[in-house]
Amino acid sequence: MSKNILIVDDDEGILDALSMVLEDAGFMVETTSKGNQTFKKINKFKPNLILLDVLLSGEDGRFICKMLKQDNETREIPVVMISAHPSAKTSIKEYGADSFLAKPFSTEVLLKTINEFTS
Amino acid sequence: MERILRYLNPLARLGNRKYSIVFPLFTTLAGCLLLEFWGNVILHNPSATGIFAIILLLGMIVYFSFRDGMRGGLIASVITIAYYFYIIITRNQGEDQLRSSIQTVLLLGLVYLFVAATVGGLKQKLDRMIEGEADEKRRLQAIIHQLPVGLVITNNKGAVVETNKQLENIVGVKIPIGYEMGKDDSLVKGEHGMPTWPRISPLVQSISTGRAVVRKDFVIMGPNNKKTIIQVSATPVKNKQGKVIAAVSIITDLTQQREMEKRKDDFVNIASHELKTPLTSMKLYIDSLSNRLKDQVDSKSMRTLKGIQYQTERLQDLVSDLLDVSRIQTGKLHFEKEKFSLDKMINETVEELQRSTKGQKIIYSKKTSITVNADKFRISQVMTNLLTNAIKYSPPDTNIVISTKKNGKYVFVSVQDQGLGIDKSEHKKIFERLYQVGDAKEKTYPGLGMGLYISKEIIKRHRGNIWVESEKGKGSKFFFSLPL
Repeated sequence: MSKNILIVDDDEGILDALSMVLEDAGFMVETTSKGNQTFKKINKFKPNLILLDVLLSGEDGRFICKMLKQDNETREIPVVMISAHPSAKTSIKEYGADSFLAKPFSTEVLLKTINEFTS
Repeated sequence: MERILRYLNPLARLGNRKYSIVFPLFTTLAGCLLLEFWGNVILHNPSATGIFAIILLLGMIVYFSFRDGMRGGLIASVITIAYYFYIIITRNQGEDQLRSSIQTVLLLGLVYLFVAATVGGLKQKLDRMIEGEADEKRRLQAIIHQLPVGLVITNNKGAVVETNKQLENIVGVKIPIGYEMGKDDSLVKGEHGMPTWPRISPLVQSISTGRAVVRKDFVIMGPNNKKTIIQVSATPVKNKQGKVIAAVSIITDLTQQREMEKRKDDFVNIASHELKTPLTSMKLYIDSLSNRLKDQVDSKSMRTLKGIQYQTERLQDLVSDLLDVSRIQTGKLHFEKEKFSLDKMINETVEELQRSTKGQKIIYSKKTSITVNADKFRISQVMTNLLTNAIKYSPPDTNIVISTKKNGKYVFVSVQDQGLGIDKSEHKKIFERLYQVGDAKEKTYPGLGMGLYISKEIIKRHRGNIWVESEKGKGSKFFFSLPL
């Protein structure tokens, strides 16, 4: 059974490229460029993993992550945070993120990270 | 010796002004001899006293009236001679009183000389003190007040003895003379909970430790109750015996500079995000495309795709290097240390680089089982930089040899190539920021001169060392060490 992945990123290019690569790899993908849509999307789509950008337009991905981890219904969903700052790796742990990808990452690394949580 | 003589001889100390004493005295003596020569005794004790009192008075008046001692002395002498002629013409006295008169003249002359010399010397000293020191003080104060930095001078107890206008401009209040640093906390408390003066005064520290305190930053409530960042340096002033007698502190306003630095940091952050995001998309698109086309397209199209992939990687490396340089500059290069196998890390790096290197062979033979506690990603970055350089500057079909050696508390890693080699004069410079080997005549190689600079910073921050052994035309051997 294919796994569902929700991507939350404000950059359309990233959303498109990530969807393409993940769909190629056999995942079902749903995207949103607005952080406040995250919970709505989760209810509908029931993702097995969430790819969440740290720096969203006007919002902080880390707070969304914290909210996800505080909510009983979403707590169990693995969250992989994406950031251009390698140093964000340490700070996101405090917000409960399960893993981290530093931009720019390769397809190989992306799939390896996702498979850790979905297989 | 000369100094002692000068000190003993009051006339010498008077300089030009000695003439004002010498001339009247000599004319007085000459006058007495003249009287004797003529055989007319015109002086006797009481009148001689009177005459000398007048001469003394006149000499003094003339002496103090003229800044130029020579002119004063001449005028005093002319007056004295004129007075003698007056006496010679108007008086004629008994011969028996001549001897005692001459003795009186000599005695009074000596008294006159002594008084005039002492008074003259004192006056000159006073003049020098008043004029010279006042000038010096005025000049010093002008300098202090016009300094482009804030200044506080305290005595060895930390009490303020001097401040300048610029300090008032920076901190927003006048620090009163006598304000005791470290004891009086009225300025430290401030009005709105924010200090107008740093709580821990570098001045007090420099006095108590006897050492300079360099560039300490403090946040204070500055002029118009605005948050102000000041940088304070303080240094003790010592006497010849090494005892602290005062302390000087320099205060600069860094608010604007820090604001600019913050803007630059923000720019780097934004740039890093903005540059890396499209790069990530590009990489993913390329991966996706090559995956889709791998069994379908002709070799030329595949070569094009590989080219795009390679160039994207290069662009990614350049962006990363630029950001690293920027991080080093702003002190934001952070490390995450972990224990890892050096062999394994080197093998992984070699494997990855060898995949895209056709010409040169990278050999890692001398293996040791060494575990280091360092930032694996960053050390592997150093390894990659050294190997990439070796590949870049080596002819094809040559070997690049890596070796590791444990020695005492350090592990040494070396990368040896058979490439161009580096002239001894450039061995240090190549680790400087944006420095590149090669001149106008020589063939230039691509790159921005960031790799070795970044590597040096990474190794330095790991308390290791990095250097090169090389000669022009004889290949290079790069070394780095890491503490175990």
